[in-house]
Amino acid sequence: MHHEGERVNTSLRLLPVLILAITLCGCDAISHRADADSNVRVVEAAFFEGGYGIHWHQKIAEEYSRAHKDEGVVVELWGDPRMRDKVKPRILRGDPPDVMLDQYLPIWKMIAAGKLLPFNDVLDQPVNDSGELWRDQFIPGTLDSFTSDGKCYGIPTSFGAWGCWYDAKLFREHGWTPPATWSEFTAVCAEIKAAGIAPLAFQGKYPYYAWYSYISVAQRCGGLPLINRMNALEPGAFSHPDAIAAAKLWQDLVRDYFQPGYEAMNHLESQLEFVNNKAAMIFCGVWLFNEMKESTPPDFEMRVFNVPAVEGGKGNPKLFNGLGMEQMLVTSDGRYPEDAMDFARYMISMQNGADMASSIGVISPLKGGCPRETVGPPLQSVLDMIDAAPGVFNVRLYDLLLEWREQVAHIALASLMQGDITPEEFGRQLDEGLVRAQQDPDVIIPPFTPYDPASLGETP
Amino acid sequence: MKRSREQTVFMITFLAPAFLLFTVFVAMPGIRAFAYSFEKWDGLSAPKWVGLDNFAALLRDRDVFAAALWHNIVLTVGAGLLIVVLSLLFASALHRRVRGAALFRVTFFFPNVISSVAIALLWVLLYSTTDFGVINSLLGWLKYEDFGRLNGAMDVARGWTGLANLELPFPFTGKPYLIYSLIPIIVWASTGFYMVLFLAAMEGIPESYYEAATLDGASEISQFWHITLPLIREVLTVGLVFLVIGCLKIFDMVWIMDNEWPTKETHVLATLMYQKVFSEYNIGYGAAVAVLMFIVVFMASMFTLRLSRKEALEY
Repeated sequence: MHHEGERVNTSLRLLPVLILAITLCGCDAISHRADADSNVRVVEAAFFEGGYGIHWHQKIAEEYSRAHKDEGVVVELWGDPRMRDKVKPRILRGDPPDVMLDQYLPIWKMIAAGKLLPFNDVLDQPVNDSGELWRDQFIPGTLDSFTSDGKCYGIPTSFGAWGCWYDAKLFREHGWTPPATWSEFTAVCAEIKAAGIAPLAFQGKYPYYAWYSYISVAQRCGGLPLINRMNALEPGAFSHPDAIAAAKLWQDLVRDYFQPGYEAMNHLESQLEFVNNKAAMIFCGVWLFNEMKESTPPDFEMRVFNVPAVEGGKGNPKLFNGLGMEQMLVTSDGRYPEDAMDFARYMISMQNGADMASSIGVISPLKGGCPRETVGPPLQSVLDMIDAAPGVFNVRLYDLLLEWREQVAHIALASLMQGDITPEEFGRQLDEGLVRAQQDPDVIIPPFTPYDPASLGETP
Repeated sequence: MKRSREQTVFMITFLAPAFLLFTVFVAMPGIRAFAYSFEKWDGLSAPKWVGLDNFAALLRDRDVFAAALWHNIVLTVGAGLLIVVLSLLFASALHRRVRGAALFRVTFFFPNVISSVAIALLWVLLYSTTDFGVINSLLGWLKYEDFGRLNGAMDVARGWTGLANLELPFPFTGKPYLIYSLIPIIVWASTGFYMVLFLAAMEGIPESYYEAATLDGASEISQFWHITLPLIREVLTVGLVFLVIGCLKIFDMVWIMDNEWPTKETHVLATLMYQKVFSEYNIGYGAAVAVLMFIVVFMASMFTLRLSRKEALEY
């Protein structure tokens, strides 16, 4: 009996040691990820899985890994619509993936904190026998979004263009034509409404769709000087009469012609309404075609037209809101930054541009990177828009001032669209928010090179 | 009575993992979050000590904070009251052995086995303004259907409920309405849990009390007020505290149903905190929201406990 008690006693004493040992073993297993073989460099790539999906990117990662097998480089690329949420804690604790793709990460904050590496060395290397630099292959302006002090921190993987999409077949059947001016636009909206179809579907749950649309209308009203004022964070830029006029046009359009219930629709719901002809048009970026490919009926003729010109407006209606999008970022806390940059260069290359276009409908940010014959009629209509435009414009505030975006711009846009505030109040809220945002000593506002209206077809 | 050495080792062995986990994953992050609230930190560069600046900024942005807090209060009071009333009603009915009690018990409890994210997605579909939206379709049917001889009564009902003037499809999950649209969801999802909680307490009440009351001519309602309710008061108090804490901490449903872009119209305290930390990378400010949220939850829980403080009845 005594011996039995001693055995129990000894077992009890060993129990804490056992638990501790198991815990420590667990910690050890967690702390050693991947690279069991030290000769292999596993480059982790985390990509936002949005309208373009992730399969093509994974195929390229596999191709790259096969080509660099002898050097021991393997790219493990994963994608997730919630990628941002997954990598944020890792960025905070200094253990980010080597390369990331996401437009809505706090890129400027990361640049300021030295968490991203510039691509300059790679950009300034020749990429073909003729000695052409990688940098020179990009469409002018596409590398500007995250360039500061001459250093480029983001490589766009796509060329983004904002327009209004429609079904050419539906338009043809009803005798409607894509509008070129705002009055034609509202007239066709009225005809569509009279035919019992909602003129415009809208991704009401996501305020940034409204932002890009509003900015497009603002350029039509005030031209590039207005866009320059906004980009320069000029006091009163959004209260300028041209900006107010744009807000009013947008508000009127929402009130009169948006599909009832749009406020509660996310991007997929509203885009489904569009491809099912419940709504005749929708404002969206180039990714719409690929995002809705599986749900689009075979006889649906998806086409895009540029945001219509505003009568009396100062903007060149051939320009469009466009920029290099879906930025690839290489982290300074990552383990293999050089391999990550080399992978970025491989992915965004002329050789992959055509495949990217034909596979997932992405228009490459490289000049001539998307040959017309590689894409179908929907993206050809985007190429028509691009070919007709002497250039593009965008307003950088959305990526630059995150708090302003979340706490001011989104709220003001929603209020404007709901008719809760006047266009004047909308402008006042945005301007006052900008003043407050600039009072933050930590906010980063890199120098802005204004657009030249004359060279982009606008006359004073 | 003195504990033996083995007992002490035994207790420490089994308490240590829980204590360790609590310390590492609850207490230490909590203390650190409190410290963050006095720092300006984007999580990327070195933190700077700013004293009470984050709380001052919260005060400056009080309209957003107040809106978020108000939404929590709306959910706590609106959903909380309905949950308590319904769960007591259902528990009482089941306790009195209504026909099909077992089926009702399973049915009411069923939403508890579904994750809140799945619940939110399910209700997004139910509330949808597209053809998938069951609720809007139902409202459309009630508004436009020809009910024959009942049309007169239906017109009165439509006018009385406001359905006659309601523009359909109604954007239930649109920003101005989202918080109020959450109330039925929370009620649907939570009533079963509280019903089971209260029912378990009711099952402990001796049947003889009810028999005696019945002999004395007490009605069912009278028995509920004078026997059931006083004897489950302690469990009711615990349930109320759970409810208050749950509604003040709500996050996932708002986050999912507003597609991760909440604004002042839809923020609750937890989404405001999350947005500050993970969308704006303003960790100090987010921690300040978390500290105030902790204070609010703590005070609300204390207030609830105090309201229902009475000497326990023994039976």
